[in-house]
Amino acid sequence: MGPRIVVTGIGAVTPVGTGREEVWSALLAGRSGFSPVETFDTSRYPVHVGAEVRGFDPARHLRRLAPEELGRASQLAVAAGRLALADAGLDTGGLDTAGLDTDGLDPERCGVAMGTTSGEPQIVERFDDRVAADELDRVDGEFMDRYPSQLIAANLAAETGFAGPVTMIPTACAAGNYAVAHAFDVLRAGRADLMLAGGADCFSRITYTGFARLGAIAPDRCRPFDRNRQGMIPGEGAAVLVLETAERAEARGARVWAEIASYGLTCDAHHMTAAHPEGDGAARAMEEALAAGGLGPDDVSYVSAHGTGTPTNDRLEAAAVRRVFGERRVPVSSIKSMIGHTMGAASAIEAAVCALAVTDDRVPPTANFEEPDPECDLDCVPNEAREMPVEVAMNNAYAFGGNNASVIFRKWRP
Amino acid sequence: MRPAVAVTGLGVVTPLGDTPGALHEALCRGERAVAPIERFAVDGLGSTLGAEIGGFDPARYLGAGRNFRPLDRNGLLTAAAAELALADGGWDAERREGAPVGLVLGTMFGSVHTISAFDVRALQAGPNYVKPLDFANSVINAPAGQSAIWHGLRGVNTTIAGGPAAGLQALAYAADRIAAGRADAVLAGGSDELCFESFLGFARTGRAAGTSGREARPVPFDARRDGFALGEGAALLVLESVDSARRRGARTLAALAGHGAAFDPSRGRDAATAARAVERAVRAALDDAGIEPAELAFASLSADGSVDGDLAEARGVAAALGAAAAELPVAAIKSMLGEPLGAGGALQAVAAVGTFGDGRLPGVAGLEETDPELPLGGVGAATREVRRGPALLTALDFDGNARAVVLVPGEGPAG
Repeated sequence: MGPRIVVTGIGAVTPVGTGREEVWSALLAGRSGFSPVETFDTSRYPVHVGAEVRGFDPARHLRRLAPEELGRASQLAVAAGRLALADAGLDTGGLDTAGLDTDGLDPERCGVAMGTTSGEPQIVERFDDRVAADELDRVDGEFMDRYPSQLIAANLAAETGFAGPVTMIPTACAAGNYAVAHAFDVLRAGRADLMLAGGADCFSRITYTGFARLGAIAPDRCRPFDRNRQGMIPGEGAAVLVLETAERAEARGARVWAEIASYGLTCDAHHMTAAHPEGDGAARAMEEALAAGGLGPDDVSYVSAHGTGTPTNDRLEAAAVRRVFGERRVPVSSIKSMIGHTMGAASAIEAAVCALAVTDDRVPPTANFEEPDPECDLDCVPNEAREMPVEVAMNNAYAFGGNNASVIFRKWRP
Repeated sequence: MRPAVAVTGLGVVTPLGDTPGALHEALCRGERAVAPIERFAVDGLGSTLGAEIGGFDPARYLGAGRNFRPLDRNGLLTAAAAELALADGGWDAERREGAPVGLVLGTMFGSVHTISAFDVRALQAGPNYVKPLDFANSVINAPAGQSAIWHGLRGVNTTIAGGPAAGLQALAYAADRIAAGRADAVLAGGSDELCFESFLGFARTGRAAGTSGREARPVPFDARRDGFALGEGAALLVLESVDSARRRGARTLAALAGHGAAFDPSRGRDAATAARAVERAVRAALDDAGIEPAELAFASLSADGSVDGDLAEARGVAAALGAAAAELPVAAIKSMLGEPLGAGGALQAVAAVGTFGDGRLPGVAGLEETDPELPLGGVGAATREVRRGPALLTALDFDGNARAVVLVPGEGPAG
């Protein structure tokens, strides 16, 4: 079935911190990143809270590309990629060149797979402002030179000098898991030696407008699985994992955070924005991932939930988890309770959480949890991080289009 | 060499026809769909040329009396191509129930028209006055998601973002899923629509034909080419495991024997690294397929009239082919179909299957004076006869993504 694939680097830019250590400690501490939206004026909206990344300075991370030539999602992605490479011991910190210590790696055998929901929405929003103001003559080449979503992956590859397979997967809010799964396949098939895989989205007026119109945004905070949950909090961020074959990681003496065991991808084929009423596709994705990894539900120590905090998602997700895990109350938590819903970045950040959980034997809580909901009868690790043996962690993500993705991480045992 | 993946069905909706046969005939006649845009005003944009699908009627493909409102134009183009491909491949609803079919779609935008119109309405009327249906279609994976709903496609559903290379990426992604035993059948290809927003956007980059101040000439490899004419369409192939095709006695039109990928970190700014990326992608694909350059019967490039891109792609292909580059017949279909972005790579594949069928390879219609720097000998305006044998498909995307796929002719009904 091909070589074993491991995670050797983690980089993230999130509303609760930047970099692996800062993000992980914030999540274990249950810290939230919600505040009034600053990206655009929300005075005409019924809701006003978001989870934005504050004080982000791309110039601190970028070495080869000029920050002003990149859309914000690309900036977040490239920053996360740089952090991930440094975490993997592959970044020398040099300022004049790509600054990579390739450690015997051939850049032509290194690739990128990234996910996103909206690509570079702030670029099209600038165009839309021109349309609304009847100023089309002021639209310049920047619109098409910076808008297409594939640029997120392309910019990360250009920044790092990676010249292998580069793929952009815009499968909405499950996109990070799709990218990790694809990178896993590329490595297993021997089409690359190392992959950067993750997801990125920047704060988007379009996304905020849409979820506000659907009544899906909570007024203050996100409370997944709570009986009184009122919705999600849209956010922004990026996470990138360094994936490579175990053989190569061992040869270069790399620290391994986790092994990727398997994944499952399915489609509800039911509704664009609503999940299947019995959580069918979600359950099939978990089952497919378990079967592909030669695992059973009892092998799973922890589930990182999609857990958006909308009334419907959490109820259906709980049903899907029960269908797969039966009576066993596997710990299930949602970090969206702290960082909001970072869209295409969400499952990439959650993938980082799973990789850290199997290393650390700790899992982050579902914050803001007050009152259990009988319709979400889960052990959702309420409010306090938990120390527990984590042998296997399953990362679940669901998306518009009925896309479902489960990726399974396993404690690294050479 | 990996196990080949069978092509058992084709579906296309293009400006030059909505069956693979009609498309092949039009391409071999040198018919050009590139003409002044009719669907929206293009005054003052410099660029006026595009390849539109005139009078697209979803009811013709998806059934009269159905409610098409939840889908936007790209969603409908994609769902229509999916219907045609599933019917052509014999994957009816009952068969899909037994074995979930996946969909892997390359697209550059989903619909930048839908996305922009949604946002503009919120700006002008207020955020409470946008339509939830439009929000559903504002995600880039909406055409794939909508098509999955329409046809009950419960297998993998992946959208791959890209322009000229996205279709080949989708074919490669789907082929690897099948080769890994994760699916019996996957619809793979791409789609994009021609809309005002993308048309204006490309016109302002100066990469669209007619915007450089010279005479508009969106003709691949022509010495006086000045850019591409935007096109539109959807093309999907049924990719299927050889076992599954054999089990059900399906007709095999072709097989995907190998693919390769490489990236140009200069993102097209350095002609040498761009060509090098194409060269590496081609070498990887030939190696994956276990085929030598001399065994190829023809090649089909993504060249669309782009001043730098066409030459970089040709140089990369020539470098990978070595001596074979002097003679190998080469097709480039975009002087006829325009640049259909996400649909482009899949249309190259469908056109190649047409050539497998009757041996005719379309010429580059409109080619008058071949670029003297072109390192490929087999480029000409006339349609010609080629040997029945493996086809090399290549694409170089605007962002530096280079892809190659090797298709080999099928053998009629699978034994």
